Amino acid sequence: MNGKQYLKNQLPVISLNLFGMLVLTLFLLASGNNIQSVLFIAFVWFFTVICYLTSAFFLRKRRLDKLLRMTEQLEERYLIAEIMEVPERADEQVFYRVMKMAEKSMLEKIGEIQRERKEYKEYIEQWVHEAKTPITAMKLLCENAHFDIAHSDIHRSDFTRNMLTELEHMNRYAEQALYYARSEHAEKDYSIRETALADVIRDAIADNKYMLRQNHVNISIDTMESNVYTDDKWLRFILDQLISNAVKYRTEQPALHFFTVEKCEDRGNLKHRIVLDGSNLQAVEKHGHKGNQLFLGIEDNGIGISSADLPRIFEKGFTGENGRIIQSSTGIGLYLCKRLCDKLGIGLSASSEGKGTTIWLSFQINDFIAEVQGE
Amino acid sequence: MKFKILIVEDDPVIQTQLKNLLAGNGYEAETITDFQNVMEQVKSFAPHLLLLDIKLPGNDGFMICSQIRAVSDMPVIFVTSSNTDMDELNSIMLGGDAFMTKPYNTAILLAKIDALLKRVYGAGQKEILTWNGATLHLESGFIEHDGRKAELTKNEMKILYYLFRHAGEICSRNDIIDFLWDSQLYIDDNALSVNMTRIREKLAGIGLMDFIQTKHRQGYRLKN
Repeated sequence: MNGKQYLKNQLPVISLNLFGMLVLTLFLLASGNNIQSVLFIAFVWFFTVICYLTSAFFLRKRRLDKLLRMTEQLEERYLIAEIMEVPERADEQVFYRVMKMAEKSMLEKIGEIQRERKEYKEYIEQWVHEAKTPITAMKLLCENAHFDIAHSDIHRSDFTRNMLTELEHMNRYAEQALYYARSEHAEKDYSIRETALADVIRDAIADNKYMLRQNHVNISIDTMESNVYTDDKWLRFILDQLISNAVKYRTEQPALHFFTVEKCEDRGNLKHRIVLDGSNLQAVEKHGHKGNQLFLGIEDNGIGISSADLPRIFEKGFTGENGRIIQSSTGIGLYLCKRLCDKLGIGLSASSEGKGTTIWLSFQINDFIAEVQGE
Repeated sequence: MKFKILIVEDDPVIQTQLKNLLAGNGYEAETITDFQNVMEQVKSFAPHLLLLDIKLPGNDGFMICSQIRAVSDMPVIFVTSSNTDMDELNSIMLGGDAFMTKPYNTAILLAKIDALLKRVYGAGQKEILTWNGATLHLESGFIEHDGRKAELTKNEMKILYYLFRHAGEICSRNDIIDFLWDSQLYIDDNALSVNMTRIREKLAGIGLMDFIQTKHRQGYRLKN
């Protein structure tokens, strides 16, 4: 509350008092009082008014500042009417009622929007599940093509292979819609389980088999015996997106390499067979988390990401330089990966040195879980 | 003996295609057409394994699974398009043995079926593949001819397995690579050529000259 403005608001009171003082002074002078006593009376009046105004100002300021602070600290500010003191002044009570009414209609609106969103999310889920029936049927039709034909030496034709590749794309887009809807929702849709990384990687490769084969991608997976605690379905979706990116931004003779690096915080060094080159090590060390971590690296030899674009690749709708080269960039895939990773508590980062990109997924290795299970 | 598999699935195309797929892989498959009394049909067909969708007209898959569990321990694989956590949890709680989401990878589906049948009904007879005097020993990983043996690597083993399974037919390079990928061996065209050369050397070493024939632009074939 601003003092100057307060004075301005109190202008009618002040002028009324000044007017009263003036009239009284004139009256007292006219009725023959000596000037000293008149000045004294005027001074007492003036002093009283000043005292009243200052004390009223500070009292009100204290109350209102408290209210302001309370509102600022509140996460859902529209709920302030619920926790504030009920005012005693008549005009403030009117404002209080206005706030209450505003709050109520706000809550109704929010409830309505939440309901609509939930319904929309459910519709998307249902739609995706329904779309999967024809996708499955088409996939089976294509894969079975050589059983149907009487001459068994007729093989899967290029046409069938192209169809299967397109079906993989279709399925990936459908999944993207599903996970987008899920990531928007606050509700928990996943369950954390002990998962073998190698199995999830193999499933994700199987999901994209025809696309990878069509583009002659050379795949290498290092031996990994590590288990992580995560949701395998979500992780598989994330890997699907990363694999499709690697194929989308490929160069001649594309290659995709999956490997893990374990990092132990207390020793501060890498206790793994894989010898990292300088750039990879830097990327690993950028993560400042405590405790043991397992890094899954997905390395491609594609067109890479320019250093100017690198910090922004997980932003929604960001396509950058590569987006101008490849038309089908949407800026959704990596954004969605980041959101899902955040929910699952997986660290996601990328490193790229002009050519080729490595995406790093970092999992916390919680010794506590192992200890409890070891009992 | 052929294992009998019952498909409980309401989409007609998927029904017939699954049936074809299973029949093509040596199973006797049957589909449910009347969803009003699924249990009757299960009893009369007496399958060794059940492929069960969750969303069905009439009783849903969970209901059917719990009805079956009341009378039988046969393996049940849930195949469904809804991949929510709740569905997966329910399927496990009700005694489902596996949970697969559509669109499933047929190789993975077949592998699951095979593994479950083996676990429940025992390994059955060992699969020994013989062709023109050559015998492929799957478990121990070697090929035998005239008492002479040649050790095989994992890749070579899988390639020969595919050729033996389709003995006498022409197997295209693409189909062989597809099969290898389904077996989680991610080799490319060049690597296949390298492997073929090495297999031929090994075969020649045990007296199998020209055992694998190359059909130009078509693929490979075991000599008749």
